[in-house]
Amino acid sequence: MTVAPPLANPLREGPRLARTPQPCALVIFGATGDLTARKIVPALYNLALQRLLPAAFVVVGAARQPLSSERFRENLHADLVKFSRTKPINEDAWASFADGVHYVSTKDPSGYDTLRETLADLDVRAGTAGNRLFYLATPPSAYGPIVDQLKGHRLTENVRARVVVEKPFGHDLTSATELSGKLQGVFTEDEIFRIDHYLGKETVQNILVLRFANGIFEPIWNRQYVDHVQITVAESLGIEERGAYYEQAGALRDIVQNHLLQLVALVGMEPPVSFDAKAVRDEKLKVLRAIRPIAEEDAKSNVVRGQYGTGFIEGTPVRAYRQEDGIAPTSKTETFLAIRAFIDNWRWEGTPFYLRTGKRHPKRTTEIAIQFRAAPHAVFSEEAADGMEPNALVLRIQPDEGISLKFGAKVPVQGIRIRSVNMDFVYGASFMVDAPDAYETLILDALRGDATLFTRQDEVEQQWRFVDPIARAWAAGRGDLPVYPAGTWGPAEADLLIGRDGRAWRKP
Amino acid sequence: MIEPDIDESVWGARAGGVAALERELARMRRSMGAHATEQGVPVARASVLNLVVFTTRDTHARRAAATIDVLATRHPSRAIVVLADRLREGIAPGLEGLEMHCHLSHPAGLQQVSYEQILIRARGDADQRLASALIPLLLPDLPVFLWWTETPSLDAVHFAELLKLADRLIVDSGDFARPDRTLPRLHAVARAGHGRYGLTDFNWTRITPWRELVSQFFDVPAWRPFLDGVTGIRIGFAVEADGREIHPSQALLLIGWLASRLGWRAVESLAPSEAGGLLFAMERGDGEAIQTRVRPRYMRGIDEGNLSGLRIQATDGVRHAEFVVKRVEDSSHAGATVVIDGAPVAERLVPLGTPGVSELLSEELTIARSDSIYEDALAALVALT
Repeated sequence: MTVAPPLANPLREGPRLARTPQPCALVIFGATGDLTARKIVPALYNLALQRLLPAAFVVVGAARQPLSSERFRENLHADLVKFSRTKPINEDAWASFADGVHYVSTKDPSGYDTLRETLADLDVRAGTAGNRLFYLATPPSAYGPIVDQLKGHRLTENVRARVVVEKPFGHDLTSATELSGKLQGVFTEDEIFRIDHYLGKETVQNILVLRFANGIFEPIWNRQYVDHVQITVAESLGIEERGAYYEQAGALRDIVQNHLLQLVALVGMEPPVSFDAKAVRDEKLKVLRAIRPIAEEDAKSNVVRGQYGTGFIEGTPVRAYRQEDGIAPTSKTETFLAIRAFIDNWRWEGTPFYLRTGKRHPKRTTEIAIQFRAAPHAVFSEEAADGMEPNALVLRIQPDEGISLKFGAKVPVQGIRIRSVNMDFVYGASFMVDAPDAYETLILDALRGDATLFTRQDEVEQQWRFVDPIARAWAAGRGDLPVYPAGTWGPAEADLLIGRDGRAWRKP
Repeated sequence: MIEPDIDESVWGARAGGVAALERELARMRRSMGAHATEQGVPVARASVLNLVVFTTRDTHARRAAATIDVLATRHPSRAIVVLADRLREGIAPGLEGLEMHCHLSHPAGLQQVSYEQILIRARGDADQRLASALIPLLLPDLPVFLWWTETPSLDAVHFAELLKLADRLIVDSGDFARPDRTLPRLHAVARAGHGRYGLTDFNWTRITPWRELVSQFFDVPAWRPFLDGVTGIRIGFAVEADGREIHPSQALLLIGWLASRLGWRAVESLAPSEAGGLLFAMERGDGEAIQTRVRPRYMRGIDEGNLSGLRIQATDGVRHAEFVVKRVEDSSHAGATVVIDGAPVAERLVPLGTPGVSELLSEELTIARSDSIYEDALAALVALT
């Protein structure tokens, strides 16, 4: 499945021209679907506007629907008008991009032969020279059949082929392994790019920069100085139109298994030796493995779940989860989760990580708070230190991306009075710079073959190993499902979970 | 030329010395802090760099200040604009010297970030004095970017003095009166700066998209062999309709870049065939000749000096190919075309805007080290001219 590496291009040298990928054909399965319309095509178009696509680049859409290439382009244009982050649409640039867009129907297996011929023709005519990226923008149930057909119709032979898949990667460890077995029957692990779009966010990558480009944080980034860590992924939205999926997944599979555990990994990992795919993912895996499993019988004391009831979001009354479309009136699906987790390694022994995520909270916010220990000895009188709190370093992922550090300062009066002040760093992205969309970053990386920001199979499996016993505990009827009013920070049980340790949730 | 008095509505009140100026800035920060606290928004003073701008004209100083305003949120800085008279004679006795003004600026619509702008007005011969006023004003331990508007006075004392403070020198060869003379001399400045400061040129930033598009041609495996068989280069750059002002810097830099990356040698500089044009004979590593022609061209909607088009002729021993990037008239696009043996094999249209000075400066401020590729291009130019 390998082709000889192309001759080096001496013009590419230097710091400014590094990011354009090699010539490539991008094949999108599920080309008539939602993901293609909302994310993939707008991302490609915006990459084209920034001249980041190679000179030889084609897109081949594949789906069951019979459709001409012209019609397909028209549909994409209509979607682009709706979903592009930059507007108005640059029609000239789009027209030139659309010249390289083709469509093949794969309703019948013979469609794959057509696809192979189309790609072979484009390899010569457009100059893509056997470099392909297959993007499976389909429900996971279609992954297996598609890769089987790719193999059966020799679409991955004698070319450089890679594949991009989207979450969910299975619904438990068994199904995830099965799914990955399917993919690995055709692609090697190096050729599989699993998208967790959280990792494409600028501010998530900034966690690694903050930790590993600075010398002052790492020495205190451990159990000796950190009292505990709080990670919050809160949404004000309900489940919108994703009822059927959400009812099966719940917050555990929808957020905890992927995004939340990835954030834990980034915060908790050891420094990688370099910022490359292997080194970074090896370290993430190590820390994921060190997360103490929560056994079925312990789930009740370390995990709180909840489901939103009726309430108000920004003054507007909203429905309860059980009243949403497609949801059973007796649904037992959780829309909120709080977890008390530990990482059993040298760095974090005994330092709790409090994780929570939920829907229908008062506001949308994702943040990581590192709560440091209080000063070891009370130098100042109790009265003076009244306003003093332990230091906290807060990484705000969204919205208002930034970093703030809380420390005590003397109030300028005679005598000593101490107040906490927040020193804020506001990330440029919240102002002038249009931060690149996560999909632009990730698609560009996949085209360039850089897997650093993608999840590896062993990480996915490890994440399921943590999540599965919790799901089993609930399935066995262990654990309550308290209802919290929409527009609040979750059920009172969650406050007890952290309150038992003498701590409290931050107000994000 | 003696510039007029300072407009205090733009530059803030005059301060009598460095200490007074710092006091005034602290006072302004305090009052802004108090105001913001009432509104519940704390004001952050973030600084990532010092930016020193050298100008000799009031209009340039104002334009630079407006540019920095736009950048304040992305590159919070202390900005010090130096406005010096071009002529040092004829200053009334007693007026010679430095005068300082300062104000805090809120970039439009933002309440949370402020940055400080300081003007130093230097009258008469200030060569010996400038650095002494600048040093105490620089924020400690942050990089100093020196942005020199117009042609840098490479031999002047004040140039050397200010350069000593800088971590990075930014020039715009688009403003050079004689780029074919100044660019090679700039190479000496870059070489001397190794390990001390980096050098950059807005015109180099302007041609980045052109370099990108040319590179992209030769990422395509089928076209890559042609890169070793280039036989001719034609580059066009825009001039005004009257054709009086000729600014070939971008074109020269592009040739220098190609020559340095591909190991071409200069043979001779030939007499141009037309006014403002340039003609070079170069040869490839294997001794084959490359005809290189640079010509001015009038084109609507393009600022003078900007590239209008580029044509690379090449052979792979069997076939002849042309790689063309051409700006579309009156549009912010360029066509990128490949023609092999007379037949077009690829054609695409790509957005190619003309970035403003604030975008160029913003890009440069993100790069903290010297760009060896630019220095190589300059070195190749030295050999050519």
